[in-house]
Amino acid sequence: METHLPLSTSVTPPVDLEEKLRHLPVDARAAFRRFQADGKAADLDVVIFAILEDFIPKKTGPALAGLPGDTPLMDGLGFDSLAITEIIFFAEDLFGISISNEEILKVRTIDELRRFILRKAAAKRAA
Amino acid sequence: MPPLPVITGLGFITSIGNDKATVLRNLHELRHGLEPFVFLDNPNVPVKVAGTVKDFAFPTTNWRDWNWPAAYAIDRETVRGLAPHGVYAFCAVQQALAEAGLGVDALSDGGTGLFCASAGSPLLLGQHLSQMYATRGERGNPMGIVSSIAGTLNFNLAAYYHIRGAVCGFVSACTSSSHALGYAMDEIRLGRQQRMLVVGAEDMNTESILPFASLRALSVNPNPDTASRPFDRRRDGFVGTGGAVALVVEDAALAHRRGAPIYAELAGWGQAGDGHSVAASHPEGAGLREAMRRALADAQVTPRDIDYVNAHATSTPAGDRSEALALQAVFGGARPKVSSTKALTGHGLSLAGAMEVAFCALALAEGFIPGAAHLEEPDPACASFDLPRTSLDSAPRLVLKNSSGFGGSNVCHVLRRVP
Repeated sequence: METHLPLSTSVTPPVDLEEKLRHLPVDARAAFRRFQADGKAADLDVVIFAILEDFIPKKTGPALAGLPGDTPLMDGLGFDSLAITEIIFFAEDLFGISISNEEILKVRTIDELRRFILRKAAAKRAA
Repeated sequence: MPPLPVITGLGFITSIGNDKATVLRNLHELRHGLEPFVFLDNPNVPVKVAGTVKDFAFPTTNWRDWNWPAAYAIDRETVRGLAPHGVYAFCAVQQALAEAGLGVDALSDGGTGLFCASAGSPLLLGQHLSQMYATRGERGNPMGIVSSIAGTLNFNLAAYYHIRGAVCGFVSACTSSSHALGYAMDEIRLGRQQRMLVVGAEDMNTESILPFASLRALSVNPNPDTASRPFDRRRDGFVGTGGAVALVVEDAALAHRRGAPIYAELAGWGQAGDGHSVAASHPEGAGLREAMRRALADAQVTPRDIDYVNAHATSTPAGDRSEALALQAVFGGARPKVSSTKALTGHGLSLAGAMEVAFCALALAEGFIPGAAHLEEPDPACASFDLPRTSLDSAPRLVLKNSSGFGGSNVCHVLRRVP
């Protein structure tokens, strides 16, 4: 008789959060833990900006947190599709969320990314 | 006058030095770059020595943890797509371009091509596949492919330097970068390109080296001073190494117009297969013999014209013997000086050919012949050779460089001193 691996609609691989967070600044790691506990958007913002700073292909300008929220990620900040994909995979692992290709394409600015991840992460926490 | 390929720039990240001056000194003084190396933290692994690359650190597969000398600029946009040997390669290329007096802008006019050689990164490939299995295909690193598969060097270097000429990677195991150089010469000789960047590189880690222990190809001698001793009767296998070497090859007319330094002329090359075994060399070096003859014919020189042979000899019992027999057959009564600089560096696999051609270019430019380090009891098959035990301060005029690889691939190059 044939045997099959158990099927599921979504993987839940063990994610080593400490390993994922290791390269983020101390304040971002603390903010992540606060967000896990309280779900406050301000804490999530700190985490998201730290992720953006970590994955930006060329670090040239001022701190991203100080830029206008409508700054485009690709044309304005030099993110390319590979870096956006890296951020999406990182966020999926960190927050235990799932993001489709269609959703990725709709995220163009800093604010759109913040709102998008907040919505997904909050829904995950609520679940 | 037909195009003549010459070497105008060299860059070194090797076990015997990460700059030209250090490499030159260690070649001349026969100081090796081998060190004790513990594979997989397992003292039971019988292989104990490697040709380590100093001043670089790759403690994890995450590029954020990597360190390389501060003199080299590699931005995060670039490093995220690199394997460890890609980092070596970017450093070597920066050296070679500076040596050749070339700015980045000079490479993107279509007249410059890029040929590279590496086996890819087994370390990163393994890590990406492990992640794929663990997530059942639902996650992956977007840079996983371009950083790990064979071709990673040309993908990354061509993109970074905006190369618009011929771009290709070569995969023939230990003849890979010799093939890259040979075909780069042809690009110039055929008038297709005026300039070629040639880069050979390999990771220096367990994943790239230890699999060769399964072939019983690695030395189990724990002494770094004697583990690599090509042509010695007591040799017992090769010592693995990694690193990167970059060569700038240009048409001589262009080099002269630019006032560029010229290390050596690339006078000819030849290749031939053994048609014998997937892994072992032909017992009498049949393919290597023919490759040497073809290289000499291409350069329009005879065996008696060759002053120095930089042998492929990796320190394996069978391989060194095959090469010795091939050399005997080709050179007969002629007695060029013969040495294998792998005694000093270890065997760089895909990197080896480019690295050793670069050593030959240094020998021609600086007027010396590297000695046969660690050789105490020559194999009887080498009885008719002149194997100098120390480096000689006599300037060779013509040098032959041999390379052999899996599948019986053999590539030889003839280099000539600039008149």
